[in-house]
Amino acid sequence: MTTDPYASVTAPPRFFLHRLNPLSKLAAPLPFMAWLLVVRDVWTPLLFLLFAVITILIGARLTLRRAVALVIGLPLLILLLSFSFGLWTDAARVDTTPLLFQIGEYRFYLGAWLIGLATALRLGAVLALALIPGLTTTGPELVRASVEHLRVPYRVGYTALAAYRFVPRFRHDLDLIRQAHRVRGVAGGRGPIAGIRRGLGYVVPLLAGAIRHAERVSFAMDSRAFGAHPTRTERYLMPLRVRDAVFTALFWLIGAGLLVVAARLGGALP
Amino acid sequence: MDDRDVLPLRVRDLAIRHDGRTGNTPAGVSFDIAPGEVVLLLGPSGCGKSTLALALNGLVPHAVPARLAGAVIAGGIDTMDATVAQLSEKVAMVFQDPDAQIVTGSVLDEVCFGPENLGLPVEVGLARAEASLRAVGLWERRAENPDLLSGGGRQRLSIACALAMGAPLLVLDEPTANLDPVGIDEVYAVLRDLVTQGDKSILLIEHNLDAAIELIDRVIVLDSGGRVALNGTPGAVLAARAEDVAALGVWLPVATLAALRLRRAGVEIDPLPLTGAQLAAALDGIRVLPEPAARARLQRRGDEAAVRVRDLTVVRSGSTLLDSVSLDIAAGDFTAVIGTNGAGKTTLVQAIAGVVPPPRGRITVAGLDPTTSDVRALAAHIGFVFQNPEHQFLENTVWDELAYGLRLAGGSMDAAGVESTVTGMLERFGLEELRDAHPFLLSGGQKRRLSVGTALVTGAPVLVLDEPTFGQDRERADELLALLTVLNRGGRTIIAATHDLQLVAEYAHSVAVLSSGKLLAFGPTAEILGDAELIARAGLRLPPLATAMGAVEKHPSWRSVTRLADLPGSPS
Repeated sequence: MTTDPYASVTAPPRFFLHRLNPLSKLAAPLPFMAWLLVVRDVWTPLLFLLFAVITILIGARLTLRRAVALVIGLPLLILLLSFSFGLWTDAARVDTTPLLFQIGEYRFYLGAWLIGLATALRLGAVLALALIPGLTTTGPELVRASVEHLRVPYRVGYTALAAYRFVPRFRHDLDLIRQAHRVRGVAGGRGPIAGIRRGLGYVVPLLAGAIRHAERVSFAMDSRAFGAHPTRTERYLMPLRVRDAVFTALFWLIGAGLLVVAARLGGALP
Repeated sequence: MDDRDVLPLRVRDLAIRHDGRTGNTPAGVSFDIAPGEVVLLLGPSGCGKSTLALALNGLVPHAVPARLAGAVIAGGIDTMDATVAQLSEKVAMVFQDPDAQIVTGSVLDEVCFGPENLGLPVEVGLARAEASLRAVGLWERRAENPDLLSGGGRQRLSIACALAMGAPLLVLDEPTANLDPVGIDEVYAVLRDLVTQGDKSILLIEHNLDAAIELIDRVIVLDSGGRVALNGTPGAVLAARAEDVAALGVWLPVATLAALRLRRAGVEIDPLPLTGAQLAAALDGIRVLPEPAARARLQRRGDEAAVRVRDLTVVRSGSTLLDSVSLDIAAGDFTAVIGTNGAGKTTLVQAIAGVVPPPRGRITVAGLDPTTSDVRALAAHIGFVFQNPEHQFLENTVWDELAYGLRLAGGSMDAAGVESTVTGMLERFGLEELRDAHPFLLSGGQKRRLSVGTALVTGAPVLVLDEPTFGQDRERADELLALLTVLNRGGRTIIAATHDLQLVAEYAHSVAVLSSGKLLAFGPTAEILGDAELIARAGLRLPPLATAMGAVEKHPSWRSVTRLADLPGSPS
């Protein structure tokens, strides 16, 4: 069962994230996402990770699967990444820290893991912050809000919306082409090289179909006066309300507080 | 000038040459469409019907690079002097593929899209949307995602969107070519209502004449050079000049075709009928009719089964697509698999050909189980042709495309053998001249022939086709079916999933009827199509000739006639 990206969202008031303007949901976490790209400590990303996850858990309507992925999947992913990133660390820089384990000549130090953990936490925190708008906004909503408030030309926005509809069609076409090629006996060979060869074989028929489809869609849109005037009537207004300002201000305030806390913790603890 | 004095459409000496082509199609076409008039535009493949349609709202030459001579005046505006967007209030379009006409996420948004682009106030747009959606019977479903509608529903939505533009002229280019019989009925029910109201002019391009004929005020026939050959009422063109129309390579209503055949056998029907009801009435008015041709159909059914299906059940993501289907298709048979969309036709033929491997041990093709056999081994026994031939192409030339299967089959054939086999295939499918052409640059009919060729080059005795005539005009469909008949006479077993029951009636020896994944019936074509109750139960519609003949009262032996070949006077 795939979710319908166009289904109108009528979330109860409790799930406040769904009732905010997409732009405020984007503006609130954006500065912190940028900041997280440059920090090096463990505390800042950890606090923002918790903040983002808690915000989503309170304010977003989640399916059980998504909730589990968020609460269990994301931490596991970060743990896994922390070890993988740790392996990349130069051991000479951290060989004064306790040794965690040793495989043959390879030694994995606590310091290496901590560096890996910091990187993994940063990625996880940025991801979690992006999920605040990501899990609660549909593509069409974002396009409409951008056209209304960010002066994105509606021709661009609505073309993007139409392109959104291409995705399931391409997936279907790709399935058919795969089947068709398999029937011709293209099963031949395993491994990456054979895979790339197979993939290249799909490109021409997929593109040929895509170009034809795009041309037809553009004819249909032109025939219905698309682009007739510099502006068009918009039935869905996406006003920036007081609650959007409140949400963004609160988010920034709490975020700033967390930065202070992280600095304190970073000073008190190694 | 008062709007009422302006003709919805005036076309004067229109000639269009696509960039990179030498000839003009259409070439010097002139006609008018009066308010409320319904005009059918006919012509053989390549005569420029669709190009002409695109020129009516300015897509040619504003969006399609082409040179346009002459003039198209839509609602008093010369299309050369206006943008497509401005012309959208004069000419509204409905295209063939419903999926390529949907932009937004709900039925209501979709209909409002046009009025919103025109900058109309919200209330005006909504009022237009409501009127248009009510006209096509979708108002109750306005909140739904268009993807959830059936094919017929989506095409009705496209008509509503066109209506919402408020244009006096509606142009429909093959609006039912991608639909199943139920969808075709839905679309024509909507068009019938529109014609009854009479406030819109309509230009219809359609190969399904039997559905369209009752709505038409006037017929314009283009010849293959893109000039107007005939222009007049349906009676004056399709009936009075039927032989000329047929000679142009244009399909006639099946009732007219049947009467032409009968005329050749000495049964004079004058004037020629256009509808099934007229044919039945004409036959009832004749006291003595010759017996219909005996069913001397070649039943090439050997004792040996080419394909054996036993208790095949296919369940995919929780829904049962096929429910314990069992059937034996005899070697040399021509079997049609029919049913509505979602009945399981495609699932069945794909399982038989191993495209989507079926559960183990349920299907046997020439002693092989498609589930466990190697793709290459299977390809030597069964070939599969997809709806869209392009999906199957792998190589850069027609020659390599045909040689691919042979090379893959392994070392059993040397270079000389490959050369002679491929050359033979090229001749057989009329592609000799194109051996070095890129498969994607062939015409639609040539691509189709090549895809059949690639499926057969390894000598597979069984050929399976999924909706081979979907989205094609009558001429191409007939060309393909004629090719399949030749192959079938040569001893190959043909299995085709289709919803075109007139083609089934004309060509198939036996028919399997599916409904909701269950096999309702499997037997000789005449028996299946003679059972009107069975066809109705499967959600299908009897082909037009069978419906017409079913209404004949005075000649009982004629009632079971379902195909033109059964008529006296048919070439044997």
